[in-house]
Amino acid sequence: MLKIHLNRIFSRVLLTLLVCIFVPSQISAQEKSSSETFNKSHSTDSAQSWLVKMSAAVKSLNYTISFILLKPGFDSQPYLWRHGVNADGLEMEQLNLLNGPGQEVVRIGDKVSYFETNVPPYSLQSSVIDGPFPSELFQLPEKLILGYEFILVGRSRIAGRAAQQIRIISKDKSRYGLNVWLDQQTGLLLKMNMFGQEAQLLEQIQVTSLQVTKDPDPFFAKIEPEMLPEVVSFGPSAPLNSPWEIGYIPKGMTIVKRELRRLVGSGEVVEYIMLSDGLADVSVYLQKRESHKQQENLVGTVQSNTLLTIEHGELNITVIGKLPANTANAIAKSIQRVN
Amino acid sequence: MSQKLENLSALVDGENGLSRSTSSLLLDALKNDTELQLKWKRYHLIRDGLRQELPVKINFDIANKIAQAIEAEPAILAPKITWRNLPLMTNIIPFARQGGQMAIAASVAVAMIIGVQHLNQPDVSQPFNAAPPIPGIQGGLSPVSFDQTRSIPNFAAIEQKRRINAYMMDHKQQLRFKTTQSVREKSTLLDQKIKNEEAQSNIVENTPQ
Repeated sequence: MLKIHLNRIFSRVLLTLLVCIFVPSQISAQEKSSSETFNKSHSTDSAQSWLVKMSAAVKSLNYTISFILLKPGFDSQPYLWRHGVNADGLEMEQLNLLNGPGQEVVRIGDKVSYFETNVPPYSLQSSVIDGPFPSELFQLPEKLILGYEFILVGRSRIAGRAAQQIRIISKDKSRYGLNVWLDQQTGLLLKMNMFGQEAQLLEQIQVTSLQVTKDPDPFFAKIEPEMLPEVVSFGPSAPLNSPWEIGYIPKGMTIVKRELRRLVGSGEVVEYIMLSDGLADVSVYLQKRESHKQQENLVGTVQSNTLLTIEHGELNITVIGKLPANTANAIAKSIQRVN
Repeated sequence: MSQKLENLSALVDGENGLSRSTSSLLLDALKNDTELQLKWKRYHLIRDGLRQELPVKINFDIANKIAQAIEAEPAILAPKITWRNLPLMTNIIPFARQGGQMAIAASVAVAMIIGVQHLNQPDVSQPFNAAPPIPGIQGGLSPVSFDQTRSIPNFAAIEQKRRINAYMMDHKQQLRFKTTQSVREKSTLLDQKIKNEEAQSNIVENTPQ
């Protein structure tokens, strides 16, 4: 009995001690990391310097990576990803979905060609491939500074290699977070977990093999750039005088696109707004509400995307993107008419 | 002693500086020394705190509590132990219930929740030939099925599914076309960043509760 009592007292004391120890140190760590990200004076081992290293490696190395895209509850998707820089400094990149009828994307410099089933191949003028990984994190990690905090976690072993773990958390906790493991030696991505607000796993990329070579893969020598499909170009969209304004935009997000257009599938006219923070891209669709067409409010997830449709005043608002449903709801509810 | 603690801290952090012999010596010492074991525990906790990996509810010393509970049970004539008899578990179960209520409250804001199923094929296009707005790409991105578990009138369900498909397809296509901006952005990134920072100060004021 006495022993139990003593034990209890001891554990109280321990708890108080612990709170004293780690609360101040946590605060100082946060201050340190935010000042680091803003001053951009990164030491050799900060989370940011690791992301800069990754970004440089992704663009400059010759590599062949096999990875698997996993979404809980769905079938796994294996990909082959190759990148090379030729003697003239021209970047070449290939992404191939290995299961099913296949999908192949080839990038030569600033021309990205998509080869998919049931669709005639086409090219876009772009320096990144639209793939399963967040391309802006690779290309321009500094874009994430406004909305996210980078935390250097520690080292572990991924895909048989020494890896450095970095945690990326949205500053106002309004978006999903990322755990990223980078190769200690090259800085290339080895693993990426996207997690939700209760730390539940939403999406995962796991590299299964990584080869960095001196020369680009022979595959790239076989590509004839003049045989690639024509580049589809878009005229500049007309300036839009919209009576609507979004009142709440999560920290770090900006409006990157705004236009009136027809939906690809149904041909309905909508006002389209894209919000982005460099990691999460969110589409907001505004449609005039028609009284004879009753629409139900609904929210759900389509793979790792959240889809929310609500009636709001004179509008039907739809929000789609990789973000928590309550953030999507806050964005939709904040849309107001301005005079 | 302090050298020992420093080594212990390095071991917890997984630092490479330790030689193999030092770390095995340390582990041996750890097995016999309760003081060190407590330190080991604390270092892990501190590390988790620093990495922001702490769980929502922390149970200190769970093993000890269970051992005590088992000890407190009369040995032979005891009724069958259920999870509820353990002092720890009676604490946890109401907490779990509360969590459930919170989750329900959170979802009230949105009218209804729909279960979603998806065909396991990520990128199979189905014939979906509404007139495409952009020449050159027909349909293109994969439609996504959005089934729901709740039964509502058939026509409305089909209509809704069609609408959701249209939005999903459009969203995917927008993401792809968005990459075309990145060529231009590279050069204008710097002054855009300054603009973003300005915009940011306005947005923060508008953040709803």
